[in-house]
Amino acid sequence: MPDLGGRSAAALTGPSVPTPLQHAAGEIWPDQPREREVRRNLARKIVRMATFSDSIRARSDEHLVALLTHRPDLASPSPATLLSLAARATSRASLQRATNTLDAAHLEVLESVTVLDSVGEHITADRVVEAITGGAPEEDVAAVRAILAALDEMALVWSPDGTALRPAPGVDEVQDPYPGGLGPVGKAHDVVPHPDLLAEAPPGARSILSALTWGPPIGRIPAAGGGPAAAPTRWLVQNGFVKQADAQHVVLPRRVAMALRGGRTHQRLSCAPLQPAPGTLQRSSATVEAESVRAAQEAVRLVTELIGAWQVAPPSVLKSGGLGVRDLRRLAQRLETSDTTAALVAELALVAGLVVDDGDDPASYSPTLDADEWLAADVPSRWAAIVTAWFATARAPWLVGSRDERGALRNALEPELHRAWVPRLRGEVLDVLAGAPSTALSPDDVLAVLRWRTPRSVPPIESVVALMAEAEVLGVTGAGALAPGGLVLAGVPRQTVPDDTVLVELTTSLAAMLPDAVDEILLQGDLTGVVPGRPSPALEALLADSADVESRGSAITVRFTPSSVTRALDAGRTGEEFLTELALHSRTPVPQPLEYLVRDAARRHGQVRLGVASSYVRVEDPALLAGLIDDARLRPLGLFRIAPTVLAATAPIGQLLAALRERGMAPAMEGPDGQIVLADRRTPRVRVPARRSRRPGSGPGARPVVRLPDRSTTPRAEREDRSARLAALVAALRRDTPAPDAQAATGVDAGDPGLASVAARARGAGEYRHRDSVRGSALPGTTEPVVALGMLREAAADGREVWLDMTGPVGEHQRRRVRPLRVDAGRLRAVDVARESELTVAVHRIISVELVPVGT
Amino acid sequence: MTDGPLIVQSDKTLLLEVDHPQADAARRAIAPFAELERAPEHMHTYRLTPLGLWNARAAGHDAEQVVAVLLAFSRYTVPHALLVDVAETMSRYGRLQLSTHPVHGLVLQATDRAVLAEVMKSKRTAGLLGDRIDEDTVLVHPSERGNIKQVLLKLGWPAEDLAGYVDGEKHAIELSPTDPAKDDKPWDMRPYQRHAVDGFFHGGSGVVVLPCGAGKTIVGAGAMAKSSTTTLILVTNTVSARQWRDELLRRTTLTDEEIGEYSGARKDVRPVTIATYQVLTTKRKGVYTHLELLDARDWGLVIYDEVHLLPAPIFRMTANLQARRRLGLTATLVREDGREDEVFSLIGPKRYDAPWKDIEAQGYIAPADCVEVRHTMPERDRMLYATAEPEDKYRLAACAPGKMRIVEQLVAQHEGDPTLVIGQYLDQLEELGEHLGAPVITGATTVRERQRLFEAFRTGEITKLVVSKVANFSIDLPEASVAIQVSGSFGSRQEEAQRLGRVMRPKADGRTAHFYAVVSRDTVDQDFAAHRQRFLAEQGYAYRIIDAEDLEGAADADGAAGRA
Repeated sequence: MPDLGGRSAAALTGPSVPTPLQHAAGEIWPDQPREREVRRNLARKIVRMATFSDSIRARSDEHLVALLTHRPDLASPSPATLLSLAARATSRASLQRATNTLDAAHLEVLESVTVLDSVGEHITADRVVEAITGGAPEEDVAAVRAILAALDEMALVWSPDGTALRPAPGVDEVQDPYPGGLGPVGKAHDVVPHPDLLAEAPPGARSILSALTWGPPIGRIPAAGGGPAAAPTRWLVQNGFVKQADAQHVVLPRRVAMALRGGRTHQRLSCAPLQPAPGTLQRSSATVEAESVRAAQEAVRLVTELIGAWQVAPPSVLKSGGLGVRDLRRLAQRLETSDTTAALVAELALVAGLVVDDGDDPASYSPTLDADEWLAADVPSRWAAIVTAWFATARAPWLVGSRDERGALRNALEPELHRAWVPRLRGEVLDVLAGAPSTALSPDDVLAVLRWRTPRSVPPIESVVALMAEAEVLGVTGAGALAPGGLVLAGVPRQTVPDDTVLVELTTSLAAMLPDAVDEILLQGDLTGVVPGRPSPALEALLADSADVESRGSAITVRFTPSSVTRALDAGRTGEEFLTELALHSRTPVPQPLEYLVRDAARRHGQVRLGVASSYVRVEDPALLAGLIDDARLRPLGLFRIAPTVLAATAPIGQLLAALRERGMAPAMEGPDGQIVLADRRTPRVRVPARRSRRPGSGPGARPVVRLPDRSTTPRAEREDRSARLAALVAALRRDTPAPDAQAATGVDAGDPGLASVAARARGAGEYRHRDSVRGSALPGTTEPVVALGMLREAAADGREVWLDMTGPVGEHQRRRVRPLRVDAGRLRAVDVARESELTVAVHRIISVELVPVGT
Repeated sequence: MTDGPLIVQSDKTLLLEVDHPQADAARRAIAPFAELERAPEHMHTYRLTPLGLWNARAAGHDAEQVVAVLLAFSRYTVPHALLVDVAETMSRYGRLQLSTHPVHGLVLQATDRAVLAEVMKSKRTAGLLGDRIDEDTVLVHPSERGNIKQVLLKLGWPAEDLAGYVDGEKHAIELSPTDPAKDDKPWDMRPYQRHAVDGFFHGGSGVVVLPCGAGKTIVGAGAMAKSSTTTLILVTNTVSARQWRDELLRRTTLTDEEIGEYSGARKDVRPVTIATYQVLTTKRKGVYTHLELLDARDWGLVIYDEVHLLPAPIFRMTANLQARRRLGLTATLVREDGREDEVFSLIGPKRYDAPWKDIEAQGYIAPADCVEVRHTMPERDRMLYATAEPEDKYRLAACAPGKMRIVEQLVAQHEGDPTLVIGQYLDQLEELGEHLGAPVITGATTVRERQRLFEAFRTGEITKLVVSKVANFSIDLPEASVAIQVSGSFGSRQEEAQRLGRVMRPKADGRTAHFYAVVSRDTVDQDFAAHRQRFLAEQGYAYRIIDAEDLEGAADADGAAGRA
């Protein structure tokens, strides 16, 4: 906090009188000429050479392409002319969008420019550097200059004459109410009190001032009873150091604050948050890789399990879309994981195109044909496929289980469960992690960096936490630090879909880290087996069929039980085959208890036989049955013998009954209890064949496609296209923009305003639909609503006067000469020069705007 | 990635490859903090539990050591989360300490106030804690020392017990240098017994786990000699009490007058008193009438035999004995009621444990051949079984008449060897006794009669005995070399371990012991048998399974192998 008492008497007389600090830096920035300049500016009499639109028009083609690249919203839809481009660049929405992407340092520099502009200083780069850094350290100075150049490129600041700097019109409106912690500007003729006065100040006044100096500039007036601060506050208000904002608050005026700050706008240029001190957060690359590999394998296993579970019993799709809570819980149990992870796994399978809403009635989630392709691939390819799908998706699985605005539970796989900003944030998070190699950043650390990078659009901490947790589950990070796979993703340019090279890089990165497969199992007498490492695919398949996993990790412990061995037999092996297969993978002979278990299971396997039949024939006399089976005429009935006195038939009972009657027998139908029931001659009901569980994706082309690394798309080429497109657009804009002189002329001679208004409406309506119709227009800039607003903003920023054609309160046409003050929220506030009164006009009433030439 | 013998799994199990050259070093290194869960032939499974880690802390190991051991021996990279968890768990120990305050007596002190606040807020500590003395200290009622420790353990903030032990009344006890039963030849404790005694004394209180027949009584005697104080020994039944008495007379300098028996029959309180669980838990008019025994003398040491059978009321009484040294002895800590944790918190952590096969390999227990004989029930019995009520099924299967013939065959094979036939159902046992011409011992047999029969069996006068589950525990049948189990208490694993223990005392001629289980195929009997065998299989005793029909052939093969 500066010590006001020690300040030279001149400190408070003007906003830019050098302080001792500035003198120290004076050799670098001789500021005497600037001072004179400032004094002249204070009177707001400076003659501007150009407007913001002129500066846009004066830009080189490359400069324009750069602008459109930085602010893509200006190029779509393509503006008609450079004037409308300029107007659009000063619109509140576009400025907001542009400032939202700025980091804290850029925002500070921009703040500094607007603050200096607001107090009427003539701004140069040197002045901004000094206002922020005070001239040191060297790297901050360089940084401020670089940032100024970048802001210029984004058309957030512009230069009327090549050296002076001005903020783009409207920038101040999208900034904080107290930029840089500075209070309101006040009037130009407000007197800044003389600092000598402070010598008479009651005790406490100085500390109040220093509390307000660097912001926030608002202070609370002590309650009526007084207290120690009441008297000094009163004194400060009386002497004009602070102003009373309302009954309870005082505010430090901007000019006073600037004086107290010694002409500085900021104490220093803020820099990116420091990396947390290494130490407990440091992870060795071996740990990171091992954890990432472990997670990657587990993620692939979970998705594989999910497909395995859903191909047998596909869960139904809720009417509102999504997976029911009970189905999710069942999935979590099957995967032996939490509901949260299960929801993530289901979402991964969905975005990777491995399961899909089959669109049947009733609909259910079934594996796709692509799932088969995926299942056949090796672990690294499978992993790469789900990781790229995750990287590109806008879905937000962490919201599963929370409630929406109407209190309804959000379900997994719900169609509404996506947020457009998710991919961008995911990229940002990975980028931050990539900036801290081998370090396990906490979500708070990551958020701190993100907050610095875009202070105006800070993501919610929950989504950062969730995205980091997802990355950990997928093995994109390991033990909290970015793993090799994550580095690959972090290298993917923003806002693009990862291409095949990414898939291949991911695949190779995991393949390189996977430990060697082990093809051996240690079989033990307690009916367990241990694979001391990652099982080979053959061994893994064998065990999946025949054993229950007890413990998973670097090694796998399995247990053979009668039911698990029966599973192996169900898969088509005989007991002997299974034992031989096991023995192939075991160094020691198969232990006797296990061998006995397998033989015992094989003995019992198939003891109970099942078959399909629709009806049966029961006869006491076996000879009669023999006659039926051999009868050629009865062959269509599909009769077969299942016991000496029982035949089964594949034909339905009605057909059987008819056929036997026809053959001259007198069959009677019996119920389950053997009692005779009356023959029913009605048409038997049709049995619907069981639905196939796996089917190609249906629905109108909505099915995402699995990406395995063999297809080719070319997003990189697309990017090159994009800059070519922008260059072409710039050329077209320049062609269609009339020369400044022509504009001025036509603007003045606008002629019949009524006619102009009709033309303006037509063009305004048509601009977005038919850009071409505007080309060669006689009145560019003056009447197009967007351009008119831009012009008003410029005029407000420059303090110039305009002729305003507008529709009056009763619908009559008015033409008034006004000085615009502010264009905001659909209203223009302006001073009517002739009547010396303020007026507010809704912008839809404005017909056309025309600059009053300087000096008239 | 090293080539170590240990694989650390993310679910906190440790797999130790037994045949690895570094296996022994690794085993010794992880023993202080990991629980041996299974010890089959190739890969032993250890588990990291909070309790195990806290016990390691109590024994003076810190998290860095644990992590270093895991890293040193692990074959693959150790899961990071597991290392973090180990450090986190171990750091919870000792935030609270039980200590003796010079003015206020027993107090709970906190090195972390937040933990103390959390613990005091818990409903479970209500009534156990007294007034707060200062910010970090709160009074504990001396009688609740055991309870508070148990509660704190459940809350996840185990207290370090620094309050120490009362010395107890001194009483000179020494191990006798010679063995009167073996012509006064000099004897000494076996190395593992010595380790067990040292381990126990170093730790203060705790449980020693040794296989049956490995000489747990001698560990008890060793502990008594080391503490040289009056001792209370709690045993399962009267026969066991007599055997403890005989063993103590034989192995120590104690005389008959110094040892008292406190049972249903006699109520002597002497410097060394042996009491049964049963008498302690006898209630009359709703009160435990014999509780005063616990305070009858200033006991310096309390020994719990067969601690895995400790009944719940004794648990509660034990909670009040926290100031005395406690030694638990057992062959297996597997409790069918799953109350292992209570044993740990009230008696103390496991102080010594060794895989059975290791002790067998050192020749201290007999090698055992475990065989399950599967008997196929005849058609008629199977139909009977298939249609029986569920509650009768086990009995039907266990008492299948066909088993009789198999037992006869087995007995015939081992003619002349001391043989025990063990069963669950009395009528089955009676029938077997008749068939084999062997005496039957059940719960109804008088103590005198039992002792007479055991003595006759010991001297070789009779070679066959049919016993019910009364013989499961603490009977000393030194030369039984064949046990045939015809039925058991459903799937009780510890019973199986006890029964195998009957034949595991080392034989004079180094013979292999035989343990047969006769099981009816495709019935619940078979399922229970599988469950029972699991514990032994995990101790490295794999069962061979043979069909009853193959018994003849198997016997021949055995005989041939024996002759060759």
